[in-house]
Amino acid sequence: MKKNDDFDFVNLPEAAQDPEIKQEDFVLQQADSTIHEQRFQTKPTTFLKDSLKRFSKNKSSVVAAYILGFLILLSIFVPIFNTNDVSNAANAALINLEPKLFNSGSGFWDGTTKVKHCPVDPNNSAHPFYPDPTVYYYSGVKDLQVEDGLQYTNEVNKFGQNGYVQTGFYGGKGNNVSYLNSKNPKELSADYRFTLDLNTDVLTLDRFVAVDEEMLKEAEGTAGVIPENFTLGLTGLEFVYYEGDDLEVVELVSPDYTHTIGETGGEPSFNISEAIKTATGKTTFDSFYFRFVTSKPAEVDGTAHVCSLIKSFIITTNSTNDAQEIYFSNTTDPVTLLDGICFLDATKMMVRSYEVGSGSKLLRNSGFWSIDNTTSYLKRIYLSKSYFASFTYDSYEATLGEREWSVDNFDLLQYQRNGWIDFNIDVDYVGGQYVVDTTTFDFVILNRDKCPLVNEIDASDINILGYVDGDPIYYANVKVIYYKYLGYDEMPKYLFGTDRTGRDMFKYVFEGLRNSLLLGLLTFVVCFLFGLLWGSVSGYFGGAVDLVMERVTDILSGVPWIVVMTIVILKAGSSFGTFALALCLTGWIGTASTTRTQFYRFRGREYVLASRTLGASDGRLIAKHILPNALGTIITGAVLMIPSVIFSEATISYLGLGFKNLSSLGVILSNNQSELTYHPYQLLFPSVVIALVMISFNLFGNGLRDAINPSLKGEE
Amino acid sequence: MLKYSIKRIILALITAFIILSLTFILVKSLGIADTTFGAKENVKHAFYLQQLELGYVVCFDHPVEGYGDLLAHFSIDGIEEYYYSRPILEQYFSWLRNVITAWDWGRSTSIELGSAATDIIFSRLPTSMYINIISVVISVPIGIGLGILAGLKKNTWVDHLISTLVMIFISIPSFVVISFLMYLLCFENHILPSIWPSPSDSIQTKVLAFIIPVVSLSFGSICGYTRFVRAELCEVMSSEYLLLARTKGLTKNQAITRHALKNAFVPILPSILAEFIGIFGGSMILEKLYGIPGIGDLYIRSINEKDYNVLMVDMAIFTTVGLLAGIVLDLSYGFIDPRIRMGEKK
Repeated sequence: MKKNDDFDFVNLPEAAQDPEIKQEDFVLQQADSTIHEQRFQTKPTTFLKDSLKRFSKNKSSVVAAYILGFLILLSIFVPIFNTNDVSNAANAALINLEPKLFNSGSGFWDGTTKVKHCPVDPNNSAHPFYPDPTVYYYSGVKDLQVEDGLQYTNEVNKFGQNGYVQTGFYGGKGNNVSYLNSKNPKELSADYRFTLDLNTDVLTLDRFVAVDEEMLKEAEGTAGVIPENFTLGLTGLEFVYYEGDDLEVVELVSPDYTHTIGETGGEPSFNISEAIKTATGKTTFDSFYFRFVTSKPAEVDGTAHVCSLIKSFIITTNSTNDAQEIYFSNTTDPVTLLDGICFLDATKMMVRSYEVGSGSKLLRNSGFWSIDNTTSYLKRIYLSKSYFASFTYDSYEATLGEREWSVDNFDLLQYQRNGWIDFNIDVDYVGGQYVVDTTTFDFVILNRDKCPLVNEIDASDINILGYVDGDPIYYANVKVIYYKYLGYDEMPKYLFGTDRTGRDMFKYVFEGLRNSLLLGLLTFVVCFLFGLLWGSVSGYFGGAVDLVMERVTDILSGVPWIVVMTIVILKAGSSFGTFALALCLTGWIGTASTTRTQFYRFRGREYVLASRTLGASDGRLIAKHILPNALGTIITGAVLMIPSVIFSEATISYLGLGFKNLSSLGVILSNNQSELTYHPYQLLFPSVVIALVMISFNLFGNGLRDAINPSLKGEE
Repeated sequence: MLKYSIKRIILALITAFIILSLTFILVKSLGIADTTFGAKENVKHAFYLQQLELGYVVCFDHPVEGYGDLLAHFSIDGIEEYYYSRPILEQYFSWLRNVITAWDWGRSTSIELGSAATDIIFSRLPTSMYINIISVVISVPIGIGLGILAGLKKNTWVDHLISTLVMIFISIPSFVVISFLMYLLCFENHILPSIWPSPSDSIQTKVLAFIIPVVSLSFGSICGYTRFVRAELCEVMSSEYLLLARTKGLTKNQAITRHALKNAFVPILPSILAEFIGIFGGSMILEKLYGIPGIGDLYIRSINEKDYNVLMVDMAIFTTVGLLAGIVLDLSYGFIDPRIRMGEKK
């Protein structure tokens, strides 16, 4: 061995230089035995088992996997074993039933809702409750407590008594307000007062425009100087009435009024009824309305100013007669001009209807208001006195419980054949009328558990319609237990409730989930395979092939996915197939780019080179050598495609471009969006399911990736 | 750098051009959307005259073969007019000519009949932008703050809490969040307006109406940033130069502020810049749900009302915003860290 000149042993102690090792220090361990190769002490494991072990250490992913599995099982078995009909032609008798798991009265998930502070009409006992009188039956109402209060309500003409009225959704009282009044006026008996509402923010800068005669046009719409005080009158208000077929117009002139800025109270007000009586000398008209022509320029120091004060005025009346109606009309723009009306008595309020006047007595292009139009416009009474109630509402009891129902002879005969009742009804023809023969009349309920009838029918309850083929046709309005009448043995329970067409939400949601999952799976398989192929070719060959293929993916990924989906769906309709196609069009890009990166990584490795020198073809290198090494990374990345497809599908369905005749979570959510206000459970359950699916899929996917590919652990 | 930037911009323009051309051809293959069904004859005639002017249809004074089905027939003052759809490629070239020479993207056929599609877009863009700007301004600091907190307290309960919440909120679709925000704040408690206010509503209403859109948009971005910042910071915190910095004698705070954060922000800042480009887009679901008159809502309406000219401009905006954000993202990497040239040859 060559001596190393660079090192020199300097001043080392003797012992260190030459340690003394004796032969006795060494002991032979296996002097008597022959040495063999030994088996592994640890158990052999496969890659999959190892991954599974790593996966099971990740508790959250395991929980997610169980939840996911449970949801998938539900989505498979619920649509099979639940026999309720969830097609479009669903059962109208079962609409909007609340979700029910426990018996009613337990207070939680029991088909009841607590209705709080709901406006009621204390005078109407039949269907008293807002919002939907056809749904809120008395039979479902328990623990009723009625209070009165000073609040706004949405149903002006039903529940409000005295108050301001406003339109629009939200905001203060006063200048954003609508409209007047009652019906077909003949007589001006009420005392109508007209008051400018100066307490609102009318007197702001932009509402005053200084005008000279010639400046009028230029200055229109521009801000002027706020005068310190000004004079104004209430002219511009015209009273229009008919004398036979002749139209008469009277300009109503109020006394001028000087107003000082900053001063409150003492608003200009005058009695319209008096002015009309003075001007026309009569109190009875065939028909009349008010009309604004112009606003009178307010005078400031002798200069005329245009001010839009008429946008804010109050009309008050002491009328108690609902049938009194006053029309307001404007020849140019009734909607904006009259937007500012503030009406103090809610019960006398008119609701705006946008109809354009027609017929000889009405002016064209006018806005009219009538009290009976309740749906066209949003309105509230602001600070109106109304009655409110808080109660527990049992939708099952109300919809399927005891109710008045018309039972006819076919029903009764059916019950008789079932052995639930026994009866004998003979019909006589006496004095030109069909009557029940009371001497032979007999009616007895044999099986009270099964029979829908609550009480025995009396002979006097029966209405006879006549004879058909010798059999009497009759019916009786009696109390029945409605679910028994519909053929149920006991009160049905709907775990997730029913929607507004009576579909069982439980089945509907899981059927939707099944479709969403199927779509996700199909898209995943197609995209994965295509992406794999594309990425392998692009990554393996590189160079010009890669460049061209990369540009194609660049362009495709540059188009927002929503644009791609929209075009495909508009072009081909939104069936399951086209949806999957649309999702596949851009869905494969992610897989392709991961595959490409992996191929770049592995194609230069020595083992590939070795294989190539041994003569392996490109296809063999791709399929047998590179792909198996890259597959773990690629597949774990691609698993997350399923939730993203479900997400995309839900989004596009939610925008109204979803499946037409197929349910999916997005379609369900989209359909039930309108029920958010009154039946939020119809959105709650699909939302919870979709959130659970998404969360558990993501957790599961991340756990899977960490397990199969530990080097990526912790990355998002 | 300049050369590279120019190259990227030109490439993006070409990509945008190809995408828009493809989109136009695909949209036009859906056929002329005659939205004047049931309207009066003169309205119909005006519609077809407009289509003729834009070069989408041809007009003959007698029926001809070879142009497909007859779209409409008018007989006005003895003049016969037969309208046929032009071949799609011809339509495409006349559309291209109109756009390039006169910046004429066509006119609306149903949303605001007759007004220029670009005008409709630009009248609605500010609303979408206001909401996006506010949401970006709010969500970026919160997201970064939460991300830093989670990254520094890695594997403590703070980190677990933040990560779990992020996981949950990133998984829940935005329309679910919006629906339940609306239910809780608008319908149950009447705290906020339940639809976008009209111009005549009070200032208070208008301000309050921003809350739900901004909150629902922010949720997503906050979660995204938190996750991103946390991941970057965790990676940097375990790097060797940070260990070196500590061994040199820097305190933990000094090491974090001077070394860890600076390096962690190299990929984060570009995405913030890209987010600012994103303010020109509109969220379709949010705008539809809350009745916001922005360009996302316009997109849905133009699809439903088959107003394809407006749809095209809207798609152009969404595409351009996406491409632009990509460029800004890639270029700003280079500005922030000159060692990085995204997308350049290796």
